[in-house]
Amino acid sequence: MRFATRTFLWSFIPFVVLLLGSFWAIQKLVEHTVRDGLRTSLRQTHVSVARVRATSELQNSRFLEILGENAALKAGLQLLLAAPHSEDARRTVEDQLREICAKLGFDFLLVSNPDGAALAGVMRVGEQLVGMDVARLRPPHRGFTTVGERSYQVVSTPIDQGDENIGILSVGEPFDFSTFTTPAVLAHRGKVLKSSIPGIPLEEVEAALKPCKERTECEVRLRGEAYISLPMDSISFGEGYVLRSLQSIDAASGPVQGILRNVFGIAGLGALLATAIVTILSSQSIVRPIRGVVAHLKESEGTGLLPEFRAKPARIQEIRELAESFNRAASAIREARSNLHRAYVEFVGSLASALDARDRYTAGHSRRVSELACAVARSMNMAPHELEVIRIGALLHDIGKIGIVDSVLQNPGKLTNEEFALIQQHPTIGRRILEGVHGFQDYLSIVELHHENWNGTGYPWGLRGDATPLGARIVHVADAYDAMTSDRPYRRGMSLEQAIRVLRQYAGTQFDPAIVPVFAGVMAFNQQTESANGGPGRVHLLPHAVNDAHEA
Amino acid sequence: MAMMIKRAVAAVLLSVSVVGALTAADVQGTIVIKRKLTKRRVTAPASAYERGVTVELGAARETDFLSFERSRVAIYLEGQFQTQPATAVLEQKNRQFVTDTLVVPAGSTVSFPNRDPIFHNVFSLSKPKTFDLGNYPKDHTRTVSFDRPGVVFVNCRLHPNMSAAIVVAPNQWCTKADAAGRFALPDVPPGSYTIVAWHRAAGFFRQPVKVGTDRASPVEFIIPLDENGDAKVVAQR
Repeated sequence: MRFATRTFLWSFIPFVVLLLGSFWAIQKLVEHTVRDGLRTSLRQTHVSVARVRATSELQNSRFLEILGENAALKAGLQLLLAAPHSEDARRTVEDQLREICAKLGFDFLLVSNPDGAALAGVMRVGEQLVGMDVARLRPPHRGFTTVGERSYQVVSTPIDQGDENIGILSVGEPFDFSTFTTPAVLAHRGKVLKSSIPGIPLEEVEAALKPCKERTECEVRLRGEAYISLPMDSISFGEGYVLRSLQSIDAASGPVQGILRNVFGIAGLGALLATAIVTILSSQSIVRPIRGVVAHLKESEGTGLLPEFRAKPARIQEIRELAESFNRAASAIREARSNLHRAYVEFVGSLASALDARDRYTAGHSRRVSELACAVARSMNMAPHELEVIRIGALLHDIGKIGIVDSVLQNPGKLTNEEFALIQQHPTIGRRILEGVHGFQDYLSIVELHHENWNGTGYPWGLRGDATPLGARIVHVADAYDAMTSDRPYRRGMSLEQAIRVLRQYAGTQFDPAIVPVFAGVMAFNQQTESANGGPGRVHLLPHAVNDAHEA
Repeated sequence: MAMMIKRAVAAVLLSVSVVGALTAADVQGTIVIKRKLTKRRVTAPASAYERGVTVELGAARETDFLSFERSRVAIYLEGQFQTQPATAVLEQKNRQFVTDTLVVPAGSTVSFPNRDPIFHNVFSLSKPKTFDLGNYPKDHTRTVSFDRPGVVFVNCRLHPNMSAAIVVAPNQWCTKADAAGRFALPDVPPGSYTIVAWHRAAGFFRQPVKVGTDRASPVEFIIPLDENGDAKVVAQR
């Protein structure tokens, strides 16, 4: 996982958790508040409905008081009481009631005997006032009564003749929810008679209200919407009747919830963006230096070098410390490497010295060839690491002679063909020896090919011209020169001039024609310096390390 | 009151002097009413009770209200002389007395059949005759005889709106005007009389009339109206 991702997650997740938590808490709070508000509004509705009801009941009861004193009605009632089974008598009273209803605009008018059993009544059906089937009808003194499919709210007054009560007159209003500003439900013993909840059939409302206790507040679910339902207890509605008003919690809290969702959504999005930006910025200050270090390390993977980290000092202390310790480690490694290198160079030097020491005539040959070759390479402006390759390659160029018996190698006389063939094997042997040594691959070409001639007459492969690497060609020239100028048991060494002459003579055949003049130039310069210094000069062109190694 | 009695006595004397002297003649006349005097009410027809149909109760939309007014005028001659008791019917139908103005000579018997499917009651508290026939249902009837002349108002206890007037005339010469306002009292013996017209809303109107041997001068009653359009009651009951 990337550092930025990790930082982002670690900073964003708590934020999201916090946001969600507070969203939940606020939502709960809103719901609670909304519920309280709805309850209050339902109560207020109840109070106002009760007030309206009370006013209308009072008015009805005033009408009733007057109607109760209606002499004709009293006469009718007396007639009906005297002939309780007479159809005509009932019709007579019904007719009277009909006339009263028509005059006063009532929808329900009923007379009962003093025991409360209905005797005759009319109610409005459509435009008509029709007689009621009064059998088994016992309207309450005050409250709801249901005739057929209709529910009426009834108020009653006694009809007295003198001191005697001869009956009860009840006037009813069809119950509707017009005074309710909220949806309401009228139920009788659990059966919903009337509902003003739009679009939901009574059976469904009834099923939803089933769990509610008769006189308690409860919450119901209708078509997935939550309602708070409060029974109206400020008016009595008669036996078993309950009037409940409902308020949709969802509808009331919906807008607020919507706003909340939006606010929190925006806050969440903002937090996401802010966290992302902050994460990117903050992680950049850490990641960039680290990336620099990584790139640095990757580079050193390729080069094998571990240079010090030279970026401008970071502002973050930890990063600065990291850079510093990296640099310390780098310099320590470099130190170790150079120590190793020195040891290796010393080893190579001593190997060369050991080789040279086998024969007093060739003593110092490898060192001298190395110095000469380096001098030539330098004057040819070769790169330092190529110089280093030439220097060590030249030191080791005759290492293959280890594998050649002393009798052949130190033979002072003329070599037989077989002996010469043996001698000619030394570059191949040298190559074979060094092949297995880790880190010596660069020198193999010099060791193997330093006897190849320009015209292809050399050994072991007979390569021509440029096919032989430059390093090997330089070492070839230097080797030949040193061989010519060294004493041999069978001859004295040539002078410098003679040797140069010979070299010039064979330039283009045995030697690279481009190197020979350079070599001659180098030797001439060397001689000049020598005479100027007034003593035998040395080719001071090699790195100190090599000189040191030799002196050691 | 004293005045009325005097007049009555004078009329009686007058008529007695005339009666029998010569052959009788018809008294003919017209009632002129120029304004509507009564607010009639609509009541449900009897069949409506069975069907439960409501009728819009209230003022009836009459077209010929003057005919109605004219037909409600009772006309008789003042003075108790020759009477011939009759039998009349005052029906209770559609919660109304039919007719609402009945004229009978003194001594007549009136029956009150109930034609409605509901109970009715007939009673009167008027001075010439006080009675209460009680409640009785459809197709039952009760009878009352009216001996004393005068106007008897009849009501129903169960239906306070129902009301009828029975004009008990002192003699046999009594009638009601027809829709055109015309009336005739046949075979009145020659002499001078006071002819009385009575309208329920307008009250009594009196005029002297002279009946000759073969013809009587035509009588015209103009039921006058004051500037408010109400009938001017010219004489009390």
